Amino acid sequence: MSEIVIEEVSDRGMIDLKGDPAAPGFRNGVASVLGLDLPLEPRSSAASGETTVLWLSVDQWLITVPYDQAGQLTARLAAALAEHHALVVDLSDARTIFRLRGLGAREVVMKGASADLTHTDYRAGTVRRLSFAELAAMVHVVSDTPEILDLYVFRSVGHYVREFLETAARPEARVVLWGRSE
Amino acid sequence: MTSPAPYRLPEAAGIGRLIDRGQPLAFTFDGRRLEGFAGDTLASALLANGERLVGRSFKYHRPRGIVGLGSEEMNALVGIGRGPAHEPNLQATGIELHDGLAAVSQNRWPSLAFDIGQVNDLFSRFIPGGFYYKTFKWPKSFWHHLYEPLIRRAAGLGRAPTGRDPAAYEQIRVDCDVLVVGGGASGLAAAEAAALAGARVMLAEAEPRLGGVGDLYDGSEDLPALANVMVLTRTTAMAHFHHNYLLLAERLTGDNPRQRLWKLRAKEVILATGAIERPIAFANNDRPGVMLAEAVRGYLARYAVAPGRRGVVFTNNDEAYRTALLIKRAGAGDVTIIDGRADPHGELVDEARRAGIPVMLGHAVSQVETTLGGQAIEAVRVAAYRPGISRPLREQKLPCDYLAVSGGFNPAVHLWCHNGGKLRYDTRIHAFRPDRHHDRLWAVGAANGTFDLQQAIAEGAIAGEQAAARALGRPATASIVMPKAKPRRQGAIEPLWLSPASGHYHDGHKHFVDFQNDVTVADLELAQREGYSSVEHTKRYTTWGMASDQGKTSSIVGLGVLSEATGRPIPEIGTTTFRPPFTPLTFGTIAGALKGPLFLAVRRTPAHDWQVAQGAMWEPVGQWRRAYCYPKPGETKEQAIAREILAVRRAVGLLDASTLGKIEIKGKDAAAFLDRVYTNSFSTLKVGRCRYGLMLNELGFIIDDGVTARLADDHFLMHTTSGGADRVAAWLEEWLQTEWPELQVLVTPVTEQWAQFAVAGPEARAVLEALALTGDSDIDLKPDSFPFMAWRAGRIGGFRVRIFRISFSGELSFEIAVPARDGMKLWQALLDAGKPHGITAYGTEALHVLRAEKGYIVVGDETDGTVTPRDVGLDGLVSKVKRDFIGKRSLDQAFLKAAGRKELVGLMTEDKNEVLPDGAQAVSDAAARPPTPIGHVTSSYLSPTLERSIAMALIENGRSRMGETLSFPLAGGKIVKATIVSPLFYDPQGERQNV
Repeated sequence: MSEIVIEEVSDRGMIDLKGDPAAPGFRNGVASVLGLDLPLEPRSSAASGETTVLWLSVDQWLITVPYDQAGQLTARLAAALAEHHALVVDLSDARTIFRLRGLGAREVVMKGASADLTHTDYRAGTVRRLSFAELAAMVHVVSDTPEILDLYVFRSVGHYVREFLETAARPEARVVLWGRSE
Repeated sequence: MTSPAPYRLPEAAGIGRLIDRGQPLAFTFDGRRLEGFAGDTLASALLANGERLVGRSFKYHRPRGIVGLGSEEMNALVGIGRGPAHEPNLQATGIELHDGLAAVSQNRWPSLAFDIGQVNDLFSRFIPGGFYYKTFKWPKSFWHHLYEPLIRRAAGLGRAPTGRDPAAYEQIRVDCDVLVVGGGASGLAAAEAAALAGARVMLAEAEPRLGGVGDLYDGSEDLPALANVMVLTRTTAMAHFHHNYLLLAERLTGDNPRQRLWKLRAKEVILATGAIERPIAFANNDRPGVMLAEAVRGYLARYAVAPGRRGVVFTNNDEAYRTALLIKRAGAGDVTIIDGRADPHGELVDEARRAGIPVMLGHAVSQVETTLGGQAIEAVRVAAYRPGISRPLREQKLPCDYLAVSGGFNPAVHLWCHNGGKLRYDTRIHAFRPDRHHDRLWAVGAANGTFDLQQAIAEGAIAGEQAAARALGRPATASIVMPKAKPRRQGAIEPLWLSPASGHYHDGHKHFVDFQNDVTVADLELAQREGYSSVEHTKRYTTWGMASDQGKTSSIVGLGVLSEATGRPIPEIGTTTFRPPFTPLTFGTIAGALKGPLFLAVRRTPAHDWQVAQGAMWEPVGQWRRAYCYPKPGETKEQAIAREILAVRRAVGLLDASTLGKIEIKGKDAAAFLDRVYTNSFSTLKVGRCRYGLMLNELGFIIDDGVTARLADDHFLMHTTSGGADRVAAWLEEWLQTEWPELQVLVTPVTEQWAQFAVAGPEARAVLEALALTGDSDIDLKPDSFPFMAWRAGRIGGFRVRIFRISFSGELSFEIAVPARDGMKLWQALLDAGKPHGITAYGTEALHVLRAEKGYIVVGDETDGTVTPRDVGLDGLVSKVKRDFIGKRSLDQAFLKAAGRKELVGLMTEDKNEVLPDGAQAVSDAAARPPTPIGHVTSSYLSPTLERSIAMALIENGRSRMGETLSFPLAGGKIVKATIVSPLFYDPQGERQNV
């Protein structure tokens, strides 16, 4: 059985966007800067090149880009949306992202999560805000095969979540659900 | 060398199916070394060794032995493991034997065979059910100091482990379409049918293997390997909650992890939990060697353990005949069947007769005769029996050394009932079986009162198919039908709850109903005579059906006894509540991984590692740990705090303020919104400036405070208290979403994005100027261009920052915010730049003293949820011109403006070195008995700046008592005197921060 690899993703910048997707021109304004349309389907995401947009709520998205582009992109988005009711904040340092790779990554996250990620609802591209180890968190299913999950938590508890994940992922405690193993 | 187990039969066909004689295992029981085989349970290994006595009972300390085969076991509770790894109250029937297992018996002293507590049995006529409600009442104080500790010592089960459990535990959250609880014949059929219908199925079985008790009846079936069935063995369904949420406890074979708790949501739940055999109440029916008939058969068939040399089977139904037949077949000694029924007609009865087993019909066991203080059965007394008999007249003695009893079978309805499932009484089986349930729950097989194997399998398969269809949102198909074949001819069960004795119920003739709680027929009847006519009251009065056993074997027997005692039919009496967990659950499993370093997620600031390296002392603030102070080697905590305070007053200090809540608020109505959530005005605040705000709830009481900066015309940054950040963000969202949806305002919490440090003290500007020289800088720090209560964004020393010129210490002060990942670098850069100026890191205690010297309030110290702005002297911050704000109307209530409210004042103790304790009460007259309290201390410190103690307090009409001296009586009779002064102790004109 393959090992679950856990690593911290430190090169992603994160921009929090709030606004009304139904307002005329808002989505076009965002698309003109990002080069992709905002995902509107709940718990979905959209990606193009190095930009990924995660749906957080009916009026909120998290845009992830290479870290050193976040500041400039925030300014460009804010400028493009200047005439709109919108709030763009560079929150690149607010969260810690843990990337889990390997078949069984879902089970590792499920040891702290409030949802069953092996459900067919959670295919690649799905974003789900949930409680993880009793903390506010978010899971982004990056890829089904190979299995890659990104777990977003707030920075101040990153050390705790790392310890939780490493504890949950130790080989002696491996859980295989419904034969999910090679 | 251990001697061979005396009750283990030699290898023979049909017995010992589960043991591997090639793999002997050594274990200890109360320190004695014994031997068993791989495949044994602790119970079977003990019985093989002739260990009949395994525990002492809860109240009377009577000797007790193993009664059952599985989770119904109520007597054989043992502890395993040593020291911190000890786990008490485990059923010996559920412990798989392993090499080196160390088990101990419970509730005995000094030893199991000789137990002092058994004198309770001799005095038992003085301690009937409910005795503790009648005695131990006088004198009052004795209950707490004498009676209760004595009772607690005498009564009880195992001992708690002596330290932290070293084993690991974990939990996991899983969903499935169909959960099948129980891997017996009907459960396997249900799982297979549901899986073939395409559902995602989970099957939980408490035993290490599937098949249930089919091997002890007419056989079982196998479960084919199907990818969509997940089988969990050694897994007990502990509890069923709303919307089919269940907790399953999985016991793993090692310690890492030792157990796993499955938190499971199932669309459909099929209970195939089987049935539990029940005992019959006869005199001394609790003696070691009296066992359930199915258990006797199970130990023989599975583990080749002979129940004794010569036995008696006592029954009111056909199933127990199987036990006698197996004993006969296995050559395990003579056996006689005593059947309470006068004229049973069943195939098994005929078979027993053909096998030459003596059968006494219309008889019942009326007494068990023992030697060795009740530890060894010598004989049973048997008397003619017919329903309703009150006392046998003639008895005959049957020599024997064990007794197999069957009073019928109760469907295991516990999980059905955990969350409100209804039951109905079925006179076909004389037991309760599942009736209606509001949730998507099914009961199949024996759990549903269907005891015939073919019927049970078909019932399981049909439920599996239909449950899967409903879970998958498909129309129910009907490919499986109930078998047409007639079930085996079986004689009807006849109720037999109580077999009367020739003597009195007590005096050595106890008829036990609930073995685990030592409740007898006499106790239940006494409760009826005393008027406890409700079954729930009887339960509480006598403790029948309580504790870890939850009435598994005792519930129906007790109801039968009550029915006979009151003349009311059982369904009319009703049942008591079944509560989770189904079997005892260790606390480790409930805690899961959240222990030790994972006990609590402690939030860390970006400067955390430096603070650890400095040996900081810590203070919890919300979920954060903040540095309380930084003692240098050889320095006391008090010395460190004083040094830090004086550094801020005389030179410059550095505080980690990253924990302060930060919320961005933007939109064309943002200013109007802030005008509504704060008492003071923010629409008048200029861009580039900051203002302190006071936040109230609808009741007019202070809930938060902090400085808000105007970033742009429609854009603000609010600072909240450290502990209030999440609460305030939710508060703002709630008002926007539910009350004022017309306001165009967006709110985003940004606390985690920033590291924020306060540089405070006369040298603060010099430190920033020095930092500016070290790299790219574009912020003009001069007083004229960067005045008090202004903020600037830009670069300083190469850092991308926001600087707020605000002060919580009364000194010249700048708070510098930088993206969190640069936080540690900026912290170090400030220390380096400040070094020539004597920069000193200070913690939260210095922060608190500094603000108290200035009379600034702390929300949560000076306020407690019942304090208004006027109470703390901040009436000036309450706008008189704004049309409305949250709490405005409440502030106009007469009682919030009336005289007599507690008002914030400063206190100076007569002795300047005397520091009043926090919360100390001021009284109007210290000599009065009782004294009348008039207020209390909210903050109290030794101020190194003023070289004396200072305190703040909320005192009735405090502001009109200036100069008055108050008395504060302390614990131990000491009275401290302090004079009321203004809370503004230091720099009342505020000149120091304005330079």
